[in-house]
Amino acid sequence: MATTVALYNIKGGVGKTSAAVNLAWTAAEEGARVLLWDLDPQGAASYLLRVRPKVRGGGAKLVRGKRDPASLLKGSDHPRLDLLPADFSYRRMDLALDATKRPTQALARVLAPLNGEYDYAFLDCAPAISLASENVFAAADVLLVPLIPTPLSLRTYDQLRAFVAKSVAKPRPRIVAFFSMVDGRKALHRSVVQELAGDGGVLRTTIPAATDVERMGSQRRALAQFAARGRAAQAYGALWTELRGRLLA
Amino acid sequence: MNAVPRTELLLPDRVDASTAADRLAEHVAVVTQRAHRTDRTFWDTFDGRLHAAGLALVDTGSRLALTDAQTYAEHAAADLPRGLRRVAAVDLPAGALRERLEPIVEMRVLEPTVRVRSRLLPVNVLDDLGKIVVRLDAEEPTVLPADGDQIALRARLNVAGVRGYDDDYERVLALLTGVLDLQPVAQPLHDEAIAAAGGVVGGTSSKLRVALTPDMRADAAAVAVLHRLLEIIEANVPGTLTGADTEYLHDLRVAVRRSRALQRELRGVFPPEPLRVFRAEFRELQILTGPTRDLDVQLLEFPDLVATLPAQTAPSVAPLRALLEQRLAAERATMVRGLRSARTDTLLDNWRDFLAALVASAEDERPDAARPISDVAGERIGKVYRRMVKMGRAIEADSPPEALHDLRKKGKELRYLLEFFASIYPAEVTKPMVATLKGLQDVLGRFQDREVQADALRALGDEIAALEGGAAALMAMGVLVQRLGEEQAQAREQFAERFAQFAAKPQRRLVRQIFG
Repeated sequence: MATTVALYNIKGGVGKTSAAVNLAWTAAEEGARVLLWDLDPQGAASYLLRVRPKVRGGGAKLVRGKRDPASLLKGSDHPRLDLLPADFSYRRMDLALDATKRPTQALARVLAPLNGEYDYAFLDCAPAISLASENVFAAADVLLVPLIPTPLSLRTYDQLRAFVAKSVAKPRPRIVAFFSMVDGRKALHRSVVQELAGDGGVLRTTIPAATDVERMGSQRRALAQFAARGRAAQAYGALWTELRGRLLA
Repeated sequence: MNAVPRTELLLPDRVDASTAADRLAEHVAVVTQRAHRTDRTFWDTFDGRLHAAGLALVDTGSRLALTDAQTYAEHAAADLPRGLRRVAAVDLPAGALRERLEPIVEMRVLEPTVRVRSRLLPVNVLDDLGKIVVRLDAEEPTVLPADGDQIALRARLNVAGVRGYDDDYERVLALLTGVLDLQPVAQPLHDEAIAAAGGVVGGTSSKLRVALTPDMRADAAAVAVLHRLLEIIEANVPGTLTGADTEYLHDLRVAVRRSRALQRELRGVFPPEPLRVFRAEFRELQILTGPTRDLDVQLLEFPDLVATLPAQTAPSVAPLRALLEQRLAAERATMVRGLRSARTDTLLDNWRDFLAALVASAEDERPDAARPISDVAGERIGKVYRRMVKMGRAIEADSPPEALHDLRKKGKELRYLLEFFASIYPAEVTKPMVATLKGLQDVLGRFQDREVQADALRALGDEIAALEGGAAALMAMGVLVQRLGEEQAQAREQFAERFAQFAAKPQRRLVRQIFG
């Protein structure tokens, strides 16, 4: 039975896709069988893995159960990492979900038949709170939230926690955050990280704002493929080790 | 996530991995990665149960993976301690691998069959986005025999698809087999390696598989069967000595018993005096190995037997198990000494020489030697069948257990004759005969086994009582003995019906027609 980890934040541009791709790759590298579902209509994770962001029949058929998700999978350049690609039609995901019988369970239903094949499923989610994100809350065992270490970012994290606690039916996903795009030259980043990293729901490991991460877009590869020894790749490795420890605990 | 197509192709002579990669690069976009070396040890049971099931068990050092035998696509895997020389499925860590293996290998232990070292050159085919769409591994394998020099095998090209890119896989495969004219491999790498190292591909079978023709000389037919049985005996001696699993001894004993049955039933093809000596020696061999097998069986059946006890009583039989194991160790030591002795060696050597010379030897004391085997075997089958019918009819409700035991022994004799010679008679006769015989033998076997088990338990009573926790064990054993007695009684009740089927008039008529 796969453990489902959803990379999620209400805000965009916080490093969700980089985290999803690099964590999924690291887990596969360790020997786990891993699925990455690119749920973002922008298809950035699919792009990074060099897979065309296209799903036969579009997202609507998939969430309505009219398509076998296994037939849509694409193997990545890592033999143990498969991708369920993005599709531009995911931008209307809410409408498609709303048309299903139990609209908040549709994504979980898509994942169910794939569960036995994988040890981990990572969901790279579009930002915003929507019907799609409620689906993510229902499907995920863990919401992994990348946070930029600023007060505004922390505020949206609190909003997210409050929302999940109040509006999401049990069993609720565990919420685990980590600091992303940390710029050591900024005093604000340093002080927020120092105060909160390793505290409660926030992981100790932080991901630096590094050129390597930006280069993923031009390289179209996971960090481990072209900058394995770099700071960023090492940080994702450490983040996975810490997160996996939490998942087992 | 293993649902990707795979094929193995043979590279032409004098084409190594890098040449193959270069040739391919003339036709498709490829990226070659650094070559690496991998050592794999392939495992199977002595009798090749995984091979028969189309599976391979691959040990890459610390990991043991069950794969498809042709494509090596992985079904299940587990970590394995290094340096293990053999392992029983039940001793593997709980999980998917053990669950898949247990029903296939049962009581047989898994052992390394061959070790292969390969140099692998990964060559990946890319699409227009620069993504890997087909994975190729150019492989240069070398067999590492347990003793002797390394043996280089022909280079191979392993072609594996990537999920969701089936069209690319088909395209590349067509290119490889069409334009580059590569042929699919004739056999999986590990089979080729086993053959190259002088091993037996598919394991060493203890099945008879001797082809006979009805008009063959009876002595030649007997030699063919007995020679095969001797092969089975000799093949199972090393495993019996190490005691790797209980099947070696079992197969050895069955082959000895079958040999004895044939010596007795076809005695007219042998000169009487040497036969008398051999029969006595084979009997000794059977006696030598008997107690160990009996204890093996008791211990194999122990879990099932204990399972019949109430849950609160079950733990109290632990001293019994310990005692059985202690006995087994002592009996095994005696048996191993006997099997290692010059007497056993001499017997098997002499028997082989005797068989080799038999057909050409004088026939004056061998009245059946030159007769067609169908005549001689037919007479015996008919005779043993009628004898069994007579013995069975004489059994009544108050007959002693020995009467049933004797009938069972005769039944084994008939069973063996049918196994040896079934191929020379019409299947429509032998098949129903074997079926009703098997039905009868099942009942007789259960009847006798339960009695033997109960006797064995009773015999241990005094010793158990003297042990710590002995009283509780003794009470549990009482329950077991009672249960065995009930099952024996049930078998006794079923006897009449099974015998009636075996001795039914149409079957008797058929036996008379075919076997005389």
